[in-house]
Amino acid sequence: MPNYMLLLHNDPTDWKKMSPEDMQKAIQKFIAWRQKLDSHKILVGSGKLRDDGGKVIRGKDHMRVTDGPYSETREVLGGYFMITAANYAAAVEQCRDCPGLEYGGTIELREVEPVPGT
Amino acid sequence: MSDATPTVLVDHLFRSRSGQMVAYLTRLLGPQYLDLTEEAVQEALVKALQIWPYSEIPANPSGWLFRVARNVALDAIRHRALVDQKAASLAASEIARMSASAGSPGEAEFEEQLRDDELRMLLMCCHPALPRDARVALSLKTVGGFSTREIARAFLSEESAIAQKLVRAKRQIRSENIVLELPNGVELVPRLDSTLEVIYLMFNEGYAAQSGENLTRQELCGEALRIARLLADSSVATPEVHALLALMALQAARLPARVDSQGELVLLEDQDRSAWDSRLVALGFHHFALCSEGSQLSAYHLQAAIASAHASAKSAEDTDWQMILGLYTQLLAQCPSPVIALNRIVAVAKAKGTQQALAELRNLADDDALQNYYLLPAVEGSLLLETGNGLAAAQSFRRALELPCSEPEKRFLERKLAQCVDVPPMNNWQFHQDPLLGL
Repeated sequence: MPNYMLLLHNDPTDWKKMSPEDMQKAIQKFIAWRQKLDSHKILVGSGKLRDDGGKVIRGKDHMRVTDGPYSETREVLGGYFMITAANYAAAVEQCRDCPGLEYGGTIELREVEPVPGT
Repeated sequence: MSDATPTVLVDHLFRSRSGQMVAYLTRLLGPQYLDLTEEAVQEALVKALQIWPYSEIPANPSGWLFRVARNVALDAIRHRALVDQKAASLAASEIARMSASAGSPGEAEFEEQLRDDELRMLLMCCHPALPRDARVALSLKTVGGFSTREIARAFLSEESAIAQKLVRAKRQIRSENIVLELPNGVELVPRLDSTLEVIYLMFNEGYAAQSGENLTRQELCGEALRIARLLADSSVATPEVHALLALMALQAARLPARVDSQGELVLLEDQDRSAWDSRLVALGFHHFALCSEGSQLSAYHLQAAIASAHASAKSAEDTDWQMILGLYTQLLAQCPSPVIALNRIVAVAKAKGTQQALAELRNLADDDALQNYYLLPAVEGSLLLETGNGLAAAQSFRRALELPCSEPEKRFLERKLAQCVDVPPMNNWQFHQDPLLGL
């Protein structure tokens, strides 16, 4: 089965407005969702991307390292989950109850290209 | 996931720990840094929200939060020292103090120090120099870990109005140099009075809310109980503290029985007593026993005694109304209030009969403070209904319905109004037919 990358985008200023109680509820929902993926044995990995220090690297001979364009957009790429699924539609189904959506975020869902012959 | 990793957080962990983190950092830095401290705590919680979904909950979630909040606060102070040279040496000593503070959540000694921090913070937020509503808002925000929006929702107020109260209160704390301390001797009395007043206000605001209507408001009861227990278990506990805690615990115990499965109000006499929260009843009786030490008989004592008379009655019929009436009479003498007088009349009806209660009610009817209070005509209606005067009762309930009350209260009054129809007709019944009742 192919792997799928779930890239979670959100607006961090939304988080900052939440009350401690609501933040805890949100974490609890994420943990429950994660456990669901885990129990179906389809969670390959996950990670949080640091908010600061991200750069964009360009050019081979004259390599330039600049601040990314993302710092100007409100939504940032917060982190990723990688799961396995039978097909794209099945992967979409797993996103349906991802708490990130409930809190105003978006998920960019990309299939990892399987290498033929492996 | 490994077994060592918690998958569920303790209920309200973030909220209760956020209050403790603010109290802890304020001990290290002083109340003049309250804003910086609150921001650091908020940032630690946001970091948890951003990181934990992608990894797992740390083995010691509270330890994680305290460490991060402390580091964020340290960074903020260092940053301020860079910008403001004059503040630099002051900041240096604060950084040193913070770095030296050892221990982490979960360790007995650290937790004990935290309770002490929290207690001092509560007494600071309830300082009598601050306006009363600011004390309530500040206690909920700083000790209780409620957000400004939640406080606004609980007090049916505007978020901006609450925010402004908080800003002013914090400014006053700085300008009047209000500090974290445990006052003793004569100083303690006004501080405790003011704190108990805040707790009681918080509780009543929550208790007035109906089930399902506004969850935040109900949580006020829980928070009031929590900080009352903090106070009752501390070195500054007095019989009055125990009395207030007893009163609140015994009343809160009845909350689960106060509405039925359809969300409709159930009167005390009709409540299923087995649905009362037995742990809260036990807590209430425990502190009721403690409050009788000493010779003090405060208004909290009298109200706790009334609550305990209800709680110890096996059924509504078993209620010792003579004793309750005696307690209400004492309470009314101590704090003359038309609302207490109205409650007393309910006890008069039970102990001395409906006619006597109706006669006493007439003396109250003109009280200005009760003119917009729906319970005045509602009590009158119930008494009239008992005497069989359905027509007059219906008029009273209709008047009650014109006054401000919550949705479940309104439905309750409508049900009572409908009952008036079933009352056996009086002699001149046919001359007073009411088209509204469809008679």
